[in-house]
Amino acid sequence: MTIDMKEVRRVFKRSTNGKMRHQHPLSNVLVTSWLVLFAVVSLIPMIWLVLAPSKTDGELTYRSPFAFGSLKGYLNAWKHLQFFDDGVIAKWLINSLWYTATIVIIATITASLAGFVISASDIRFKKTFLISTLIMMLVPPVALVIPLFVEMDKVNLVDNPWSVILISSLYPFGAFLAYIYYTTSIPPELYESARLDGCNDFKLYTKIALPLSTPLISLLAFFAFIGNWANYFMPYVMLPSSENYTLPLGLGFLFMSTPAINPGVGATSVPIYKPEIALAGALIAVPIMIMFLISQKRLIRGMLAGSIKE
Amino acid sequence: MAKTKHYRHRNGAMYLMLAPYLLLLFFFGLLPAIMGVLEVPKPSMTNANGGWDAFAIVVQDFRFMPAFKHVLGFMAIFVPLMIIFVIGMALMLDIKPSPWKKWLRMAYIVPASISGAVAVLVWYVILQPTLSPIKPILRFFGITEASQIWQTENLVYILVGMAFFAIAGNWILIQYGSLQSISSEILEAARVDGCSVFQLAIRIKLPLISKYIIYMSVLVFAGGLQIFVEPQLLNSGVYQGIANSWSFDQLSYNLAFTSGDFGGASALSILLLIPSLLGALLVIYRTDMFEGAQGHIKKKEIEVQAI
Repeated sequence: MTIDMKEVRRVFKRSTNGKMRHQHPLSNVLVTSWLVLFAVVSLIPMIWLVLAPSKTDGELTYRSPFAFGSLKGYLNAWKHLQFFDDGVIAKWLINSLWYTATIVIIATITASLAGFVISASDIRFKKTFLISTLIMMLVPPVALVIPLFVEMDKVNLVDNPWSVILISSLYPFGAFLAYIYYTTSIPPELYESARLDGCNDFKLYTKIALPLSTPLISLLAFFAFIGNWANYFMPYVMLPSSENYTLPLGLGFLFMSTPAINPGVGATSVPIYKPEIALAGALIAVPIMIMFLISQKRLIRGMLAGSIKE
Repeated sequence: MAKTKHYRHRNGAMYLMLAPYLLLLFFFGLLPAIMGVLEVPKPSMTNANGGWDAFAIVVQDFRFMPAFKHVLGFMAIFVPLMIIFVIGMALMLDIKPSPWKKWLRMAYIVPASISGAVAVLVWYVILQPTLSPIKPILRFFGITEASQIWQTENLVYILVGMAFFAIAGNWILIQYGSLQSISSEILEAARVDGCSVFQLAIRIKLPLISKYIIYMSVLVFAGGLQIFVEPQLLNSGVYQGIANSWSFDQLSYNLAFTSGDFGGASALSILLLIPSLLGALLVIYRTDMFEGAQGHIKKKEIEVQAI
């Protein structure tokens, strides 16, 4: 978008009679206080969640919400979680790790290859691929969850982790990012001269595009991770057996089957109360938080899809 | 001959490299959409004779109108709140950028890690007067028992709160990023000409980031329409029955997995897909957000150092 500077000046001369206006110092203080207040509000739930497992269930009620119990509290909470269904929590954690890792790997590789091909080749229907990729990227994945279930049921993949892994490996957003990245960072002349030197198309990718794509790969892996680690709806529909659950599904299952936060469940012999489910919650939330904190710039750059100057 | 070989080489290898993505796109993008449409006219419990009446039948389901009202109410608060709050915060952050404010931005991003099941847990605690980290505020509003808050009619506000905190921070950072893209020359010129901070925001910055605002609105709208996890978990795991078939996706889920009515569930999915598709097409064809993808890419327009 271009802006006519004369027009900008004209508008502002008119609206301000040409006088300089300064921001009132008071409004400055108000703005800053508001910004700080929202930051504090943003931190409160996470601080509670991280501190909660250090306390006992009783301490959660009578001590300050921001008090620290003891390190042993975390250990106890973890031990207590093991009592649930013969330590199925460890299985959920491992499931979450391997499903997400597999999705991140498949999604990153397929998206990077697709972006490369669309940017570097003259294949047919390029535009069709791109538009369908954009559409898929803007429509939430859960929109198709029922038809996907019907499809997976037909091929007998319901209750098989590969249903979730394969579905979640479709990564149109990643393909689009890769396309933008390769189009703008690798001049076509580079491919052309490599071809003259006898590079085939595979080598164009492995010898030229890939070595230049470290920032892209980290961007793709970041978005694939945050999009799938805490995913709930798709595995909830596809994986009915508890041994196939991911951590988020397991957490939901703990809500349902323990009295921790569900008044409908009577007393049980399993010692799972609020510190225990808070620990399960923290295991889900903290990895995502760390990823966000170390990848702030990736988040912004990825979401603005390269259409922005620094 | 040799020369043409270089310029018109075969694309076999290229297709092979594209194939994995294309297969995924076909099997998990296009095929389910087609299967969803084909599932609709199949005879089912509610649609005994089969046929496209399934759309009309699902709309007439006694749970459809309540879900419609809930989701409409949710969106009516959530979408404008997101847009106004996020843009307001981004503009405020942009008034006087200084190094220490990066700590604020880091704090804003933290709640993004609390979504779905974890959000339900955290909000349960926040709104539980005996546990809450914001006890004094609850007490100020006269809330001493959780049952004062957890009522069906309050659910829409609680769900807006959950959805809002889970994504607002991310979008504040993203829109702050889009504001950074405005050329300092334009801003300087406006300042020299006596433009106040407020005018600068409304008349210069906002128009320049409008396409990012539309992009955000479409994603927020499409995501909000599909709200599922939070009401579903509240209903099944915390306060039983509080949000039974509260949202469209819950109704769709119940039709499929409680009543075995996949035709009705698919019909509802397809109906929900339409507004999302329209939103997607709006962003693609009515903004220049993805102009690079439409065949007339000009390299200098899309700056790559962004990635």
